[in-house]
Amino acid sequence: MSVIKLENVGYTYRVLLNRTGSLKELFREAVRGRVRMIDYVALSGVSFELNAGEVVAIIGNNGAGKSTLLKILAGVLPPTEGKSVVNGKIAPMIELGAGFHQEMTGVENVLFYSVLMGRKTKNVKSRIAAIGEWAGVTDHMDFPLRTFSSGMVARLAFATATDEKSDVLLVDEILSVGDAEFQKKSRARMDQLIASGAAVVLVSHDLRAVRELSTRTIWLESGRVKMFGDTGAVVDAYEAK
Amino acid sequence: MTLRYKRSVLGIGWTLLNPILTSFVLWIVFSFVFASKLPSGQQFAPYLMAGILLNTFFSQGLMASAESIAGNGGVLTKIYIPPQIFAVSAALAALVNFSIGFLPLAIVVVISGQSLSLWLPISLLVGFFMAIYVAGIGLTLSIMFIRFDDSRNIVSVLLMISMYLTPIFYPVSVLNSTMQSIVRWNPLTSYLEIFRWAFSNNASPSGRDWVFMVVTSIASIAIGTYFFKRRWPKTVAML
Repeated sequence: MSVIKLENVGYTYRVLLNRTGSLKELFREAVRGRVRMIDYVALSGVSFELNAGEVVAIIGNNGAGKSTLLKILAGVLPPTEGKSVVNGKIAPMIELGAGFHQEMTGVENVLFYSVLMGRKTKNVKSRIAAIGEWAGVTDHMDFPLRTFSSGMVARLAFATATDEKSDVLLVDEILSVGDAEFQKKSRARMDQLIASGAAVVLVSHDLRAVRELSTRTIWLESGRVKMFGDTGAVVDAYEAK
Repeated sequence: MTLRYKRSVLGIGWTLLNPILTSFVLWIVFSFVFASKLPSGQQFAPYLMAGILLNTFFSQGLMASAESIAGNGGVLTKIYIPPQIFAVSAALAALVNFSIGFLPLAIVVVISGQSLSLWLPISLLVGFFMAIYVAGIGLTLSIMFIRFDDSRNIVSVLLMISMYLTPIFYPVSVLNSTMQSIVRWNPLTSYLEIFRWAFSNNASPSGRDWVFMVVTSIASIAIGTYFFKRRWPKTVAML
């Protein structure tokens, strides 16, 4: 059964052309009859299906709509066209440490972040020690997050996000975070999650990692699917461009 | 969500102090002018403080609610959480502060020689309708706050106008008839009249006030959620 199903998904937003961030300016321009706006198409006509245990990579130049697509999958952006259906629990790792608060302690952050992801407080509480240990920050868990180094924050966020089994993992460039040892460790955990049946959507500029990890690849260009198919063929074409 | 507010418990002391101090200052200033205009047997201090408490609830709750979604944009664009939760929980937090304010208000009522009303629990009902009213306007404004930076300034000016159009430190009877009818059309006046009556029998709300309170709060949340739902998909891109 497909875990993710996108049908003709598009996302368009409206931009006012004269840098209007203020009502005053908008009013002045409106009086002069000079309000111009364009509909900016960030994404259009994207369709694909993803099955459990499958890894799909999204590649493309900056501004091609990769992150927009990931946000639509995460449910953060409601698509303005088409339909996006995700069956199962999502672990969004669009930015490590989003939802973390500087003034809260490590323990509180893990709890808060987990609750945001829809986990039960009771289950998480018993897991906190293990999460801290895996991230290698056991000694710091009772201190405010601002005393953590940025690497520690990233490790803790990754450990929290991947602690409970999810059906879909959305990953945005995070495999390049942290030192070599942590990268190895996080790769191992990703492989383990994939083996256990999680579907992964991966956004990356690291074409070598894409080749190693994903089975299929979507190449986005200016918000449209330029090519979609087996990773080898798509990445070859992308590199040859 | 509770975890977030746990941290601000220390701030409650300040939220209590703020209306008390404001009341005290205004009491000194206005008690000479308006105290004699109240119907006999009614004290100015509880009249004034009830007004300030409710107005603080409205203006601070509204600002917090409207700001909550823009303020949490970082999280909202990374993890899916229904954004409306932020606006509603800000309004509820303001309701909690409001209810905490009952304590000093009760003390003032007793000291000034009046007695608490038997209908006191109705005050919470007023607070409930007010929270819905605030959340509805807050949802609408949160879209504006994200789109237009200067809408904050406009809203704070409007809040000031609304404060003067609410009989907080003056009795409605001191106004001329035109002003009276304007003030009567301010929904806050109805909320306040009912609140004063329920808390310490400091006003006599009419049936119209009750209808006005219920209708405005339901209309506010209905319009707010509809507008938000329609506008959110295109607004979230600006966070």
